[in-house]
Amino acid sequence: MRIEDVVCPFCGCLCDDLVVSVEGTKVLSVENGCTLATEKFTGDHRLAHPIRRTGGSWEKTTYDVAIRETAEILLDAERPLLYGWSGTFVEAQTIGVHLAELLGAVIDNTSTVCHGPSIMAIQEVGHPGCTLGQVKNRADVIVYWGANPIEAHPRHMSRYTTFADGFFVKSAFRDRKVIVVDIRETDSSEIADEFVKVTPGGDYAVLSALRMIVRGKGELVPEKVSGVTREQLFRVANICLSARFGAIFFGLGLTMSRGKYKNIRNAIELTEELNRHTKFTISPMRGHWNVYGSNEVFTWITGYPYAVDFSRGIAFYNPGETTSVDILRRKECDACLVVASDPGAHFPRACAGHLASIPTVQIDPHVNATTHLSRIQIPVAVTGIDAEGTAYRMDGVPIRTRQLFSTDYPDDVAVLGRIYSLVKEAKG
Amino acid sequence: MDFLMTTGRTIRQGSYVERKNTPSYRDEASCIRMNPVDMLELLVEEGDAVRVTGNGSSVVMRTKPDPMLPRGLVFVCLGPYANVLASPWTHGTGMPDFKTMPVSIEPTTDAPLPVSALMKECGGVPYED
Repeated sequence: MRIEDVVCPFCGCLCDDLVVSVEGTKVLSVENGCTLATEKFTGDHRLAHPIRRTGGSWEKTTYDVAIRETAEILLDAERPLLYGWSGTFVEAQTIGVHLAELLGAVIDNTSTVCHGPSIMAIQEVGHPGCTLGQVKNRADVIVYWGANPIEAHPRHMSRYTTFADGFFVKSAFRDRKVIVVDIRETDSSEIADEFVKVTPGGDYAVLSALRMIVRGKGELVPEKVSGVTREQLFRVANICLSARFGAIFFGLGLTMSRGKYKNIRNAIELTEELNRHTKFTISPMRGHWNVYGSNEVFTWITGYPYAVDFSRGIAFYNPGETTSVDILRRKECDACLVVASDPGAHFPRACAGHLASIPTVQIDPHVNATTHLSRIQIPVAVTGIDAEGTAYRMDGVPIRTRQLFSTDYPDDVAVLGRIYSLVKEAKG
Repeated sequence: MDFLMTTGRTIRQGSYVERKNTPSYRDEASCIRMNPVDMLELLVEEGDAVRVTGNGSSVVMRTKPDPMLPRGLVFVCLGPYANVLASPWTHGTGMPDFKTMPVSIEPTTDAPLPVSALMKECGGVPYED
């Protein structure tokens, strides 16, 4: 069977033009998708059944036992952490937030080690963003700052920027100027009109220098700023100022390097300065396909986008204190429920070590690094393949993913719903 | 020799991300890309094992030349190998310094461990599917 307009549940681009051929519960081919999409849809490395660990060995168990024991672990904990959420759909994320409130737990999503600093900056100075459709149809200058879309978001350039013709940009490759700013040359910088190579940790200073030039204070800019010549800074500023519509996309090169959220704040304020002359927008290159959805769900229920602590009986948010890495570093949580993510692989080792020392339960379709740290793993259907649900694209547009076929795996809503019911019953 | 290590995505890391127990994922996540001149000074060739030490821990990786990297900067894709060396301190932001880790690198005869063995080192119990 050939299914059209399939949505890819891999990265924040949420490409919705895939054509997938399936036979029974097997994906035969994927058209229009990038390498990541093909691997995602054709992957056959699912965990076949729930597993639990007793002492030093693993054993197969049932969904009933795994779900009951998970509820007991969460009920026994004084400070449970519910982490992950970006690889599942918003309906499941909603149950997660309600479960956290019921337990008095901390709930955090993967933006804590991704674009969390971007959100902190947006809370300080706002977000002059736009949809990807606006960029595709209008932008004649594109800036990728601390991002490598060819490796991380392989179709971003072909669907929305460098290679995508738009309503007002008839020949994208000729009419759009692309600027890449990074600390190293990448495949993305190779095709840029202007590559700005910054010394590691120097982004804040380069952003400040560009702001000075845009504000008419360019005479104060020194000969070199963090490895970038004055001449190139003026050239970049002039390209931006001569744009009819410019769009900045930034990645973890800004959020994870020195300055963190202050880098993003400076980039947003550069965008604001440019808007005094022309139209400019700025947007984060979100990673997980539904990490934006987790921020939306957390915010519409609690008022905060991630790192929400319910231990006081009300929602409390303080990055640096209620963020997962800090809680694990302090060895504060005494149980952890990991949903649709892999902190074992993507947190510093000290944090992974604490996950191994407490009862950790993982709800995820695949064996990953966190599996080895867990006591229980419950496999679920993969959203966008054998489960459907709503996700938010990197520009905040909600898109309904499709179910291509049915399997015996329950989806995240079914498993989390049962855990919630057991906890609710015990709490009275 | 001392280096600055940075991390990021690669298309191969993304391709194997749902198969973390496999040799393909291990090979990509434990691959350290370096400027060829730095490799010459370290007396290592492509595919040689090196021990990378930082933040009080060390991990074995395999080298790959990358002339696009400036001297003194090495690149490892995000994942459990790079994170052996990551400090859990976040400067009050929630975000560790994943992009800028000072490390030292020396040749070794050891081989990179599988992901399950890395997790065992920090208290886990390997699950083999």
